[in-house]
Amino acid sequence: MTIAIEARNVVFSFGQTPALRGASLAVEAGEIVAIMGASGSGKSTLLHCLAGILVPDSGEVLFDGARVDSMAEAQRSSLRRDRFGFVFQFGQLVPELTTAENVALPLLLSGVRRAEALRKAYGWFERLGLEGLEHRRSGELSGGQAQRVALARGLVAGPEVLFADEPTGALDSLTGEQVMDLLVTAAREQGTTVILVTHEPRVAAYADREVIVRDGRVNAPDRIAS
Amino acid sequence: MIRFGLRLAVAGGREALTRLVIIASAVAVGAGLLLVTLAGLNAVNAQLTRYASLYPSASAEGGGDPLWWSTREDYFRGDQIVRIDVAASGQGSPTPVGIPETPGPGEYYLSPELTTLLAATPAAELADRYPGRKLGTIGEAALPSPDALVVIVGHTVDDVAALPHARQLTSVGADTPALPETVVDLIVGVIAGGLLFPVLIFIGTATRLSAARREQRFAAMRLVGATPRQISVIAATEAAAAAVAGTALGFALFYAFRGQLAAIPFTGMRFFPDDMFLRPLDILVVALGVPAGAALAAWVSLRRVRISPLGVTRQVTPRAPRAYRLIPLVLGVAELAFFIGRRPETSDGQTAVFLPGLLLIMAGLVLAGPWLTMVGARVLASRARRPAALIAARRLADNPKAGFRAISGIMLALFVTSVSIGVITTIVANRGPARIGSTDAGTVSTSFSDDQPSVPDALMAELRAIPGVRSATAIHRNPDRMADPGVLACTDIPQAYGRCADGVAVAAVAESLVPFGESASATRVWPAAPVSPADLRRLPVASIVVGTDASSASVERSRTVLSLAYPDFWVAPNAPGDFESSFTDQLRGWQQLANVIIVASLGLAGCSLAVSVVGGLSERRRPFSLLRLSGAPVRVLRRVVALESAVPMLAVAVVAVGMGFVAAQLFLKAQMDYTLTAPGVEFYAIVLVGLAACLGIIASTLPLLERITGPETARSE
Repeated sequence: MTIAIEARNVVFSFGQTPALRGASLAVEAGEIVAIMGASGSGKSTLLHCLAGILVPDSGEVLFDGARVDSMAEAQRSSLRRDRFGFVFQFGQLVPELTTAENVALPLLLSGVRRAEALRKAYGWFERLGLEGLEHRRSGELSGGQAQRVALARGLVAGPEVLFADEPTGALDSLTGEQVMDLLVTAAREQGTTVILVTHEPRVAAYADREVIVRDGRVNAPDRIAS
Repeated sequence: MIRFGLRLAVAGGREALTRLVIIASAVAVGAGLLLVTLAGLNAVNAQLTRYASLYPSASAEGGGDPLWWSTREDYFRGDQIVRIDVAASGQGSPTPVGIPETPGPGEYYLSPELTTLLAATPAAELADRYPGRKLGTIGEAALPSPDALVVIVGHTVDDVAALPHARQLTSVGADTPALPETVVDLIVGVIAGGLLFPVLIFIGTATRLSAARREQRFAAMRLVGATPRQISVIAATEAAAAAVAGTALGFALFYAFRGQLAAIPFTGMRFFPDDMFLRPLDILVVALGVPAGAALAAWVSLRRVRISPLGVTRQVTPRAPRAYRLIPLVLGVAELAFFIGRRPETSDGQTAVFLPGLLLIMAGLVLAGPWLTMVGARVLASRARRPAALIAARRLADNPKAGFRAISGIMLALFVTSVSIGVITTIVANRGPARIGSTDAGTVSTSFSDDQPSVPDALMAELRAIPGVRSATAIHRNPDRMADPGVLACTDIPQAYGRCADGVAVAAVAESLVPFGESASATRVWPAAPVSPADLRRLPVASIVVGTDASSASVERSRTVLSLAYPDFWVAPNAPGDFESSFTDQLRGWQQLANVIIVASLGLAGCSLAVSVVGGLSERRRPFSLLRLSGAPVRVLRRVVALESAVPMLAVAVVAVGMGFVAAQLFLKAQMDYTLTAPGVEFYAIVLVGLAACLGIIASTLPLLERITGPETARSE
């Protein structure tokens, strides 16, 4: 299998507080990996370093053979916009836009024409069971609906890697499972690599592999049989 | 709960204190400007009142020894000099305000500015008009402005009694003469509409700074058991505390800069520092009104959100404004249009017609603004191709009232000033002073209210001897009352003023050789008069016309000679355009005031918009920061913020200026049958500078966007 994205001996500190102390992780293309760990263990920081949101103090992050950590901010932004997708815990929808426009936003940001972007966005509504909600605002959606819209937004541009930071953290367990079902199914259909940060074993169970971050290091890489 | 709210405001940690300082500073600027506006109104009122007191009404009969008084206008290089001739009729005569005693015959008092002017000007041009002894300087109690040119000349009672406009006063300064109400209404309307509204909007907006953060804190309080009512009290207390501090600072700023403010010639003339005063009611209104208003604004802003223990829920989509909001605007325009050709006869009637029309349009603009914003934003949203335009347009369409609130001040200010500038420019264009150096500008004439039997040859010789004088002509009274009022032998018509038709010996001419409303012309052919050359000499003299090279020295020396020869003039020897020059100077003063209002209101609107931008950013920091993390370039987010503020502001500016010109045209057509003359480049330049300043203020908030949408937002919230 090909390695899609990799962190090599990544070190990162918030001021004097170390968050990552030499974390390494390689994720294969199409693989779903869950990063687990206690609060403050550095799991979100690792995800942010992998996604090019944060630049490590030392170590390397490689995507598609290129050093993400040495790219300029503009290049990293472009990478995140065009080749990565994101789902966060909550509050990621722009409140003034309709749900369809929210889903189409990554495409619009990449310069896709509005009609084309909306057409692609509408396709995700049926797929994720969101029919009829296209013209609603984020404030008119339930938590589960909003998270499914966010998932559609994360996947609409056909990203190679989807980063999900506690995607079910703000949802009840049933709704969380529904969202995870959709996330995993859609990712597998598209062949998207998923890096998932969670502290819930139930959520981690959807992954092909689970890694634990403890004290800023990735421990016990463990493959879950699929 | 109030005490608790106060403690939270002043001792709630660094963030609370910073918020308090920011809001207090913003309120201080707003309150300071509010005080300047109120004091400015008082100053304008004081200036106008003292100007009116130079023209007192006669006292009722029966007082002791009256003071004889006559006010007339003289001119010097286009500036008006108010000349007051007085005579005490006895020991009990009142003394004019501003001087220690009534001057006797051959004595006079001068205003400080006229004293300076006299010292800097050759005596033959000005000082000789006031023969005698200068007793002193007129005090500011009698002067509209430090720049006023006023002279109080002493005479005998008989001399003053024979002068035009002579009246007897048994008391001076006791009864403030009534100001023409239309003038005051107009001034108050211009200042209040143009500046007060933006100031109040700014203060209201400032108190809502950091509203989003505050609301989150309130949600946390609800979680631990605070009731909605307690939250309202805390919010109102916090806002009022900041506003009290800001208002106190505003008072300090006002009094610190009062002197400098008075020196700015807002109306074309400076104010005395003491004129920039605050009445007890003004002080009370600002000192109590601003904090109370701030508390009210905080309470109202909390009503727009539902703060539950689990967080803040903003009302998803406020009700969209309806098209009926256009009705007052349409009615106002229709009302002004209706009176074209139906102008009421009296000035009261005109005020009753035009003022409500203009006020209706002003109210209509404010009412229609949200609807227009919504329609514009919807059109923009449906056509937006870029995400920044889409997000900005959706936000505006979502809550057009909020989007319009911060710029409603601009709309009124620009409307009021556009009307004023449109009207002033048109009047100046139609009634402006004579062109510099033209024959008109060099023609000085004096008309006699009581025709003179003849004119001394020595006077004509003296006039002709003045350097720069080309002709001095005595015009006789035309016995034909239906024709031009003067008659003149064709051989005596100076070349610059025309000629007679062939074979004519005596022509009917204008008293000043320049027909009213026209210019002097060497090619003008004056019609024949039914008078023989022999009879001409027996006719009384109606006027003397002096043609000069238009240099100010020759014009003013001629004027001085004529003033001395005929000191009981009704209207001072004048050149065409003297009155207009003085009048247009006054209008230019108002134009300057309008310019000040444009820049100040746009600056204020910029501050209000900046506060709205900051508030909007705080509300959306999480989605924006997550968008940024997802790869949205910061420039896209910057564009969103800029478009949200700049597009409505620019659109509103265009609508307001356009409506201002429409209203000005309707008013001018109805009132004076003039057609609007487009204002000069200066007006547009000032509007553009003001808008640029406004955009600059908005741009200054953009670095905040980058700061608050950093990766830490995604982590910590």
